[in-house]
Amino acid sequence: MKFSYHWLAELVPGLSADAKAVGAEITMKTAECDGVDAHGEDFIIEIDNKSLTHRPDLWGHFGMAREVASHFRKELKDPVDLSLLPEGESKVTIKIENFDLCPRFSAVYFENVKVAPSPQWLQQRLEAVGINPINNIVDITNYAMALLPQPMHAFDADKVKDHTLIARAARDGETCTALNDESYELDPSMIVVAGVDGPLAIAGVMGGASSMIDDTTSRVIFEAANWHPASIRKTSVKLGLRTDASARFEKALDPENTVRGIALAIQLMKECCPDAKLVGGMTDVYRPLITPDAIEVDLVWLQRKLGREIEQKEVVSILTSIGFGVVESDEKLKVSIPSWRATKDVSVKDDLVEEVGRMIGYASITPQPPMMAVNPPVINTVRRFHNGIRRMLADNGYTEVQNYSFVSDAEANLFEMDPASHVRVLNPIAENQALLRTSLIPGIYGNIEENRKHFDGFRLFEIGNEIHKQPEGLPQEVAHLAVAYFAKDDGIAGLNELKRIVVSLLDEAEFVPASDARVYEHPARVVNIRWQEKEVGRLFEFHPSFVEQGRAAVIDLNLTSIQQLQEAHPTAKYVPVNRFPSSSFDLAVIVPARALVSDLSRAIEGLGHKPEFIEDYRMPDGRRSLLFRMTLSREDRTLAGEEVTAERTRLIEGLRALGHELRA
Amino acid sequence: MDQLKEVLESGLARMNGAESVEALEAVRVEVLGRKGVLAEAGKSMGKLAPEERASAGKLLNAAKQQLESAYEAKKSAFQSAALQSRLDAEWLDLTAPASGITPGALHPITQIQTEIEELFVSMGFTVLDGPEVETEFHNFDALNIPSTHPARDMQDTFWLEGGNLLRTHTSPVQIRGMKSLPLPLRMIAPGRVFRNEEVDASHEHTFYQLEGMMIDRNVSIANLIYFMKTLLAKIFKRDDVTVRLRPGYFPFVEPGFELDIQCMVCGGPGCAVCKHSGWVELLPCGLVHPNVLKFGGINSDEWGGFAFGLGLTRLVMMRYAIDDIRWINSGDLRFLNQF
Repeated sequence: MKFSYHWLAELVPGLSADAKAVGAEITMKTAECDGVDAHGEDFIIEIDNKSLTHRPDLWGHFGMAREVASHFRKELKDPVDLSLLPEGESKVTIKIENFDLCPRFSAVYFENVKVAPSPQWLQQRLEAVGINPINNIVDITNYAMALLPQPMHAFDADKVKDHTLIARAARDGETCTALNDESYELDPSMIVVAGVDGPLAIAGVMGGASSMIDDTTSRVIFEAANWHPASIRKTSVKLGLRTDASARFEKALDPENTVRGIALAIQLMKECCPDAKLVGGMTDVYRPLITPDAIEVDLVWLQRKLGREIEQKEVVSILTSIGFGVVESDEKLKVSIPSWRATKDVSVKDDLVEEVGRMIGYASITPQPPMMAVNPPVINTVRRFHNGIRRMLADNGYTEVQNYSFVSDAEANLFEMDPASHVRVLNPIAENQALLRTSLIPGIYGNIEENRKHFDGFRLFEIGNEIHKQPEGLPQEVAHLAVAYFAKDDGIAGLNELKRIVVSLLDEAEFVPASDARVYEHPARVVNIRWQEKEVGRLFEFHPSFVEQGRAAVIDLNLTSIQQLQEAHPTAKYVPVNRFPSSSFDLAVIVPARALVSDLSRAIEGLGHKPEFIEDYRMPDGRRSLLFRMTLSREDRTLAGEEVTAERTRLIEGLRALGHELRA
Repeated sequence: MDQLKEVLESGLARMNGAESVEALEAVRVEVLGRKGVLAEAGKSMGKLAPEERASAGKLLNAAKQQLESAYEAKKSAFQSAALQSRLDAEWLDLTAPASGITPGALHPITQIQTEIEELFVSMGFTVLDGPEVETEFHNFDALNIPSTHPARDMQDTFWLEGGNLLRTHTSPVQIRGMKSLPLPLRMIAPGRVFRNEEVDASHEHTFYQLEGMMIDRNVSIANLIYFMKTLLAKIFKRDDVTVRLRPGYFPFVEPGFELDIQCMVCGGPGCAVCKHSGWVELLPCGLVHPNVLKFGGINSDEWGGFAFGLGLTRLVMMRYAIDDIRWINSGDLRFLNQF
């Protein structure tokens, strides 16, 4: 929003501060000034629109001038003379079908109008704040918008049948060709200013072409209305049509301003169109305006919120300088809200803390340490768990990545994850970000493919949420860990290392061959990871059709499940260290090529031993020889050599009985 | 006697002249051994007259001692020479980088987040998590942003099927925190947030924030300023930082502030980093709006508090002077391995 320094200075006649000082004061006490730039002899003070969202009054120069007058303790000059409003029977008929949509609608009628360019000073003023001058009639409406701020509209009265304007919801199928020559399809969520035979304007957004002012216009209706802010906002979004008017109406403008707009137009017509004749009285249809209750605030409370002392008379002086009414009674103030602050902005006493605080300047408040109860915080065990894993992986050479939460339909299809099982984004930025990820794997795959271009080998990981659609309510967010080891050369170092990582995270994790290899998994190199008798993840190598050069081994672990199991996991049990020496012997079992070490281990365990796996040797005939080491000891004595031999023989026989062949 | 003298001299000469441990050992056996020349000389003393025998015996012992110490000296010379040459041969270039695993790296967001979490925990704050997919209620309504509120335009929201959305800020965790923690409460909520924005060097649709909230019986703007100054001094590792508050509009706080920090590059006079203003806009904060307290189930007549939002992504970019936000979620190890 652009403000002309000269215009502000005209409204604050005693202002001596320069434009830069005004901008700086506005930043510290009102709204964010983005810069002050020279514009001819004038200066433009640029204010960030976002910082004006809650202040409908500041979308016009008069509102900002009120602030500036208060900042510099000067008088404010009101440019509007309400005594100009004509009385008597009106030449314009106004009907409001729904006062919620249109709380107020005011209009006057002029004859003998001559459409011509506006005077130079008016054109320059509009140009300075970024509005193109059109002609005297349109410029007057824009001037009222930039000053009060009251967006107005002028109709060619000859094109408004029976001089009747109706504020109503649009009907299904109605269209309106706006001043930009575009035709818009309307629906009942939108409001129109209609004539008896159809829409004349998209209310609060843009006027219509059918009744526009042109060189031949000689009779004019000026209207100033107040519209339902949310409705204007929705219409503007729906039509993709944001205008200076809609930007203001959606902020909830002051309904008192419609008649001020009319008075201003009458005053400007005298100068811009001197021969024109105001005919009839003003039409002003409105529902009784509701005056909000005064806010009661006590000084002690106010001081406590601010964290500093302030005298009552200073509070009163600040509030009255920006238009609040104050009634004092011992340590309590009754504060009435001016109409231009009452629509959205100020309603509770906390709002007054801001009014007083900003005006005394927050720099005048001395920082004070808060009094805090000694409460030890609740430990976030999820974060502690994740951070421990992060640290461990980084220490083991893995670099943490953070990928987007989005995947595309194409990616989901590529990984054979049904797009319909994903939560869909209704308004994605791009096609490739239309779904929420149900797995970290597509992201990790992207990391592998990208980094493969720069490195022969690398290790990386991510901890992030999978987001799973639920029949209703919020989706389920499940924390996962994905770890990847990529090497350009052919080998199983990655799978080996990742197995070690899994076991160091989950002691006694089991690797169970998976027969349901997914499309991206190497079907002969994939296992489920089991822990505490639950499946908690997957270890696999990427399918060669996914990673065509080199090999990428991956772990995918469900951290949410693991943490739940961990809480139930028994703590370690102490067994006294055996004082007697142990003995050990090795056994080599010959197995078919695709036998599993885990099966053999379990068989040996079934025979009462805890085997340690030593070596996997591939024999010339294709079979494998698996070497296990058994360790024996007794709590009460040293085992004799014969006892060990006897145990060995018993185990060999046991294994043979199970059909296993032992290597000599 | 002359024979003994000869044995001694030749023995000493041979020991000193030995060229290896093995040669020295051979000489020892020959000279000092049980059947060595010295032993032979001892035997021949039996033929001497008894009066000569005593002095001859003394001489023999003296010669034996001399030879033994010569042997020991030579042997230890060989040992130390051998040790020396082993040490010498084992020279290594320890400046060469270690082989094997090179260190990995934590994501810079994780690093700064952990650092800030630790700081807050030390001040008695609980770290809370909230879901990335939120309800419209938690993300907007409960934060005093009803559907009709123009502030909804300020945040470009990713809407999801089913009426939910991707949280546009970490502020919804305020509501979850107020409902789950006992009063007085102190909490932070770091996490990933989403805005429907085109990505360029300074805009991302996915970034990280840290929400903070403190609720107690008497919390003032003066407390808020003190707290923010303490926090920022720790984050930027300074003894003190200069900050200023100015009005800022956020519907869930009242009053609301933009907190600026005095530019740490130029110290105030203005430079390119602070766009010549001397100040850098750092974080939004304010006193918690009574409507928000109400949605959190808290009586605003008895309790009040402050809340603030720190941009973690922004802090990372400031700390490392990163010029393009797109690196943060790139997964590119050329970038990530720098941290």
